[in-house]
Amino acid sequence: MTTNRTELLTLFHKMATEIAEKEFPPFTEQTVISDLGIDSLAMLELVGAMERHFEIRIPDEQLVGITTVNDLLAVVEKGIAAARA
Amino acid sequence: MSLSSESAHPHAASRGADASEFERESRVLFGDEVPPTLVHALRRLRDFRHRGFYFINQEGKERFCSFGEMHDEAGRRGRILRDLGLAKGDRVAIVVPEGDEFVLSFMGALYAGVIPVPIYPRLTLRNLEAYVETVGHIADASGARVVVTSPNARQYVEGAVGKSKLEALVTTEQLCPHPGPHPAGGDTIVPIDEHISPDDICFLQFTSGSTARPKGVRVLHRNLATNCGLFMLDGLRRRESWDKGVSWLPLFHDMGLIGFVMGPLFTNIESVFLPTSSFARGPRIWLETIHRHRGTITYAPNFAYALAVKRLRDRDLVGLDLSSLRISGCGAEPIQAGVLREFAKRLEPVGFKSSTLLPSYGMAEATLAITFIGHDEEPSADRVVAEDMGRRIATPATAETPEGKVAEIVSCGRPFRDHELRIVDDEGNVLGERRVGQIITRGPSIADGYFDNPAATAESFRADGWLYTGDLGYVADGNLYVCGRVKDMIIVRGRNFYPQDIEWLVGEMPSVRRGNVIAFAVSLGDTEGVVVCAEAAMSDEAALVPAIVSRVTDEVGIAPHDVAIVPLGTLPKTSSGKPQRRKTKQMYEDGTLRRIVEDAKSARAVPQPDGV
Repeated sequence: MTTNRTELLTLFHKMATEIAEKEFPPFTEQTVISDLGIDSLAMLELVGAMERHFEIRIPDEQLVGITTVNDLLAVVEKGIAAARA
Repeated sequence: MSLSSESAHPHAASRGADASEFERESRVLFGDEVPPTLVHALRRLRDFRHRGFYFINQEGKERFCSFGEMHDEAGRRGRILRDLGLAKGDRVAIVVPEGDEFVLSFMGALYAGVIPVPIYPRLTLRNLEAYVETVGHIADASGARVVVTSPNARQYVEGAVGKSKLEALVTTEQLCPHPGPHPAGGDTIVPIDEHISPDDICFLQFTSGSTARPKGVRVLHRNLATNCGLFMLDGLRRRESWDKGVSWLPLFHDMGLIGFVMGPLFTNIESVFLPTSSFARGPRIWLETIHRHRGTITYAPNFAYALAVKRLRDRDLVGLDLSSLRISGCGAEPIQAGVLREFAKRLEPVGFKSSTLLPSYGMAEATLAITFIGHDEEPSADRVVAEDMGRRIATPATAETPEGKVAEIVSCGRPFRDHELRIVDDEGNVLGERRVGQIITRGPSIADGYFDNPAATAESFRADGWLYTGDLGYVADGNLYVCGRVKDMIIVRGRNFYPQDIEWLVGEMPSVRRGNVIAFAVSLGDTEGVVVCAEAAMSDEAALVPAIVSRVTDEVGIAPHDVAIVPLGTLPKTSSGKPQRRKTKQMYEDGTLRRIVEDAKSARAVPQPDGV
């Protein structure tokens, strides 16, 4: 399964909408996640949903420095790459 | 596998001084002896090599750590802490996200008579500078000069060393020179064997992580022996031979630490620990662990029961059997009857019984537990006339009361033996049944005050022994009903936040009119949300909303539920210029608060999509 950035961003949007139970305004990879009203718990729920979707694992340590949507997608990609290796 | 409850306790009797103290100080409850300190408690269990704690890490791997191994390891870690120059009564900060390493380091400090100060690890999305500052504030308030951390947490803890009273950092690896199973006889470290008395401080429980001047509750060993003995034996009627706790609660917080580490150690019960983050990623693991371990006791704040109901799919329940569970406690934040009902209904098909739900009330200042409902009682709620609550009267609703005007308040049960509970008005007069006032309590579980903070201590811990809880409640038919707070504290998912911190933070932002910010909590059904109202000094209000959301989320760790930008001079103030939070909240709720930006959520200035 190949997943490109656009698909990942779409998936992020879909999952975040489900978890936060609200419509988000349009956002980009540079958007700061906390600007979307997503807090630590919602963030972990989102990570959990990503992990189940891709059957990957993202360690807590990798989540600590995340600020933007891009940061999160990068650790998801890293997880996907690690699972394939 | 486990030793039966009939087998003789491996006692502390072999230690001369401790033996007599054990006899003198231990309390007998329901025919069980409760050791006088947590150190005596673990020493008493040291011959148990097949009973202990199970720590599940974030990869799902399980480590069994017997009580015997914990005793040995605590002695060795205590010795190393001493060798690092820590003396009895010194404080040591502990920032360790891994459950096993946290508990072993914590117990190691206790064995050396060093006072542990647990600090929460950095959460994702939380800004590093703000986190480091918080660690520094807690270190300064506790006077800790050394911080114990794990290799994983080190990167974000070390910034506080040198910028606060913290002078040195020790990793859990340095405290554990023999990782993995310890080779028999290969130990060159002489375990520490310090005398600990019931009047010694066991640990400092910091109750709010975000204030510039955080308060650390001085919890004495005797407070813990009393409270743990009461909630485990009297409250939960623990059965040594088959009870087993299952918890994902954070260990730097009283409910997880006292409820599942200390209570079980005082009363010889096994516990299973899951990382909090694993629960947050998907609540199934909580239930799956109860199922797999045949767990009998679990506990969670209201929000977690709501989250489980919301997230669990039918397929998540396939194959689960929760019939082993006999206590599902609920505490640390306001409890919603509807949430408990939904949880019980959702999980009934997998053997969950609603009679296991145990609403309770407590706080760190009272060690942990203040009131419990009976261990075999069905949870119950009082239906009262909502509008009378504003007049501080809990009038029972009748069949004629319209459903929309009924408030449902969950019974938190009764105080423990040797403890008193009263409801008082603002002048301290004792109120009768169904009159709403501040909850005050007195008894041997009440902690020793706030560390190095006489002003805050005098305010809550009164000279006559009464603890003023700051919570509002009433008593009916002997049961306590908690219905609000005297102070404006905001509680989100069991964590306490002071509105002043958020107001100060937002008030410092460039376009906000300094000092003209009000923060308060609103009920969101399953937890509370923070609303920030700010007067803006400039005309770029639309850009301010996301900036405030971002700042509060980064530095406090919670995303505001709503941000209202209001015209200059419109927030209500007292004649002395103090913000009127309750008035603002009322205006917000009845729609009379004038807002510049009508819908904060749709007004965020975010760039156009690329790809979404």
